Amino acid sequence: MLDPLARDAVIYASTLSMLSLGLTLTYMTTRVPNFAHGSLATIGSYALLTFTSVLNWNAYYSIPAAITLSGGAAVAFYLLALRPLIRRGASFVHQMIATIAYELVLLASLNIYADVLSRTFRVTSRDVLLRRFDVQIQGFGPGVLLASILMVAVTLTLLLLLLHKTRFGVAMRASIENPTLAGALGVNVQLVYLFSWFLAGGLAGASGVLLGLWYQQDPAFGSRMLVSVFASSILGGLSSIYGAVLGGYVVGLLEIYGIFLASRVWPWILPYRIIFPLLIMSVTLLIFPRGLAGVQLSSLLARFRRSGGSVEV
Amino acid sequence: MIDAESLRLAYVFAVDLLAFLGVYLIVNLTLELEYGKAGIPNFGKVLSVAGGAFVAGAVPGRVLASAYNMFSGAEGITNPTIAECVRGLAPQKPAILTRMDYIEDNVVIATCIQSGVLSVDPLLSTGVLVMTLLLAAAVGAVLGLVASYPALRLREDYLAMTLLAFGEFLTAIGYYNREIIGGTLGIQVIDPFSWVGGGARFAVATLTIVLVAVLVALYVRSVGRSPFGRVLRAMRDQELAAEVLGKDTVSYKRTVLMISSAIAAIAGALWAFYSGGIIATAFDRVTWTFLPWVMVVLGGAGNYLGVALGTGVYWSARKLIDQYKFVIEPVLPFSIIWFDRLAFGVLLIVLLIVRPRGLIPEKPTYALKKSTVRRIVESLKTK
Repeated sequence: MLDPLARDAVIYASTLSMLSLGLTLTYMTTRVPNFAHGSLATIGSYALLTFTSVLNWNAYYSIPAAITLSGGAAVAFYLLALRPLIRRGASFVHQMIATIAYELVLLASLNIYADVLSRTFRVTSRDVLLRRFDVQIQGFGPGVLLASILMVAVTLTLLLLLLHKTRFGVAMRASIENPTLAGALGVNVQLVYLFSWFLAGGLAGASGVLLGLWYQQDPAFGSRMLVSVFASSILGGLSSIYGAVLGGYVVGLLEIYGIFLASRVWPWILPYRIIFPLLIMSVTLLIFPRGLAGVQLSSLLARFRRSGGSVEV
Repeated sequence: MIDAESLRLAYVFAVDLLAFLGVYLIVNLTLELEYGKAGIPNFGKVLSVAGGAFVAGAVPGRVLASAYNMFSGAEGITNPTIAECVRGLAPQKPAILTRMDYIEDNVVIATCIQSGVLSVDPLLSTGVLVMTLLLAAAVGAVLGLVASYPALRLREDYLAMTLLAFGEFLTAIGYYNREIIGGTLGIQVIDPFSWVGGGARFAVATLTIVLVAVLVALYVRSVGRSPFGRVLRAMRDQELAAEVLGKDTVSYKRTVLMISSAIAAIAGALWAFYSGGIIATAFDRVTWTFLPWVMVVLGGAGNYLGVALGTGVYWSARKLIDQYKFVIEPVLPFSIIWFDRLAFGVLLIVLLIVRPRGLIPEKPTYALKKSTVRRIVESLKTK
């Protein structure tokens, strides 16, 4: 029932918030911004392409496969590259460079896979739109719209239950707060890190499937979204998964609606969508560098009450 | 076995390889200055390279075209050869007789300036080249100043993300705004080497690039040994200690970013002149940020020889793959051009784990000559 712009905004912002959640999660646990995070999503998009165009299966069957593949790719990076580096006391910049090297590996692999798809299976694998494989829900719109909302709702509910109601969740929070102490108390910190990387990769893979059902795909699609993912994560404060989700929605909605509204006044601005995430990033870093998670709502409210209605900062 | 044809192929291959090596050596050396010496992780290298290339694409052609009054059509052109050239091309597009636009009629303008003046006037050509490089350097310095704003304030991780995000700002603008460098279609860059003529043109262009690269290498080497370089390394290894010793790390960081961005912009401009045409999409973060990082870390940051080795290894491998792709490709189900990124990505991860300081690690530099130091040590021993 939503108009096309709102559909676009919901799908984009939901996937962006899931990508931002993943990036923030791996940053919170292993303290490295993953420059390859965007391409983990593209793996999901190509899983979708394979399921629909090569195997002729239902598009949504590719979600478990995408979660496994992207999650596996993320875990492989953590186990084979990042963990050895951390164990050897590699510098922070070297850990970031490792993610860059992995981004090159992923981009090259995705391009090679796209070549194989087009040469061996005669399937269009670049600049390809897969909306025709989506289901239409009567009176609602494309299935991907519902799926993107469901993905965020299910992920947040499960994470909330996991983090606050299970032993593993408590162990996870402890490992994020203080890995050394958690380790000393018998928490398997390695398992927590491994799980975080799998979750981050898996969510990226699932987002990739949904992005592939809505946007035109090519091997660099996820990579191009990285700027927006960084902006959402920084807006979210890089220290809270809820902040990351909120950041994703703010950046996503502002990108879509902001550029739409701005283009009514200045039509020439339409292609410069990249300005919005960059602007949000700059404003966040300049005004509240700890992001949305750093804004103390309770103290703001207290001040609001004390001052009798007017907020002074 | 060696005939004239294979010799010619080898020559073309060598000239092409040297041009790539030279341009990337300049870019990588600026990264070496920023990261290897000063410890600033600049993940937005592409910004200044694109800035320089955009200057080369947008400015000299416009300046020359307006100097010869080309924009108001063929009748007003002050130079008879250019006017004749434009009239010669007019049958294909009659509108150029009355009015010309730098982007719309870019090919006409570039071709006629080239055949009319640049190809017969080496002095003017060289002047255009030098002035463009200087302007590119100035633009690069400004971009470096802009990049220094977050660099002075943010922690490494936030800084890396910020610079990476802002790196492609110019690329996006250049792609969507066709007034700068032709947008989605790209632009033909005027050729300051056309006076050489024939096949030697590329050789001279390559020679110019190599010359600049050698100068930059000498500069980076001398910085490494100078008091300035020592401050940078002190700042990299222990910023607090450098500050305690009275070094203003803020202004040092700003200076380094401005110098290295200016040099990187020169590399961008040289690249635009060498290739003869640019398009904004060619300035993406993989090509001009990630690959330079791969080469610098591969060879060994903090050491200009290591950087040179890293650059050499990467481009030799890549160009050899390119050269023999017609042999390999028929047996593969994919294009071999992706293989180098795959291989070097894996290689870099392995190297980071087993040999994190690169192929040639940084060596301590001595304030005095090694032999002098040794003599002092000997004399101390005998006492």
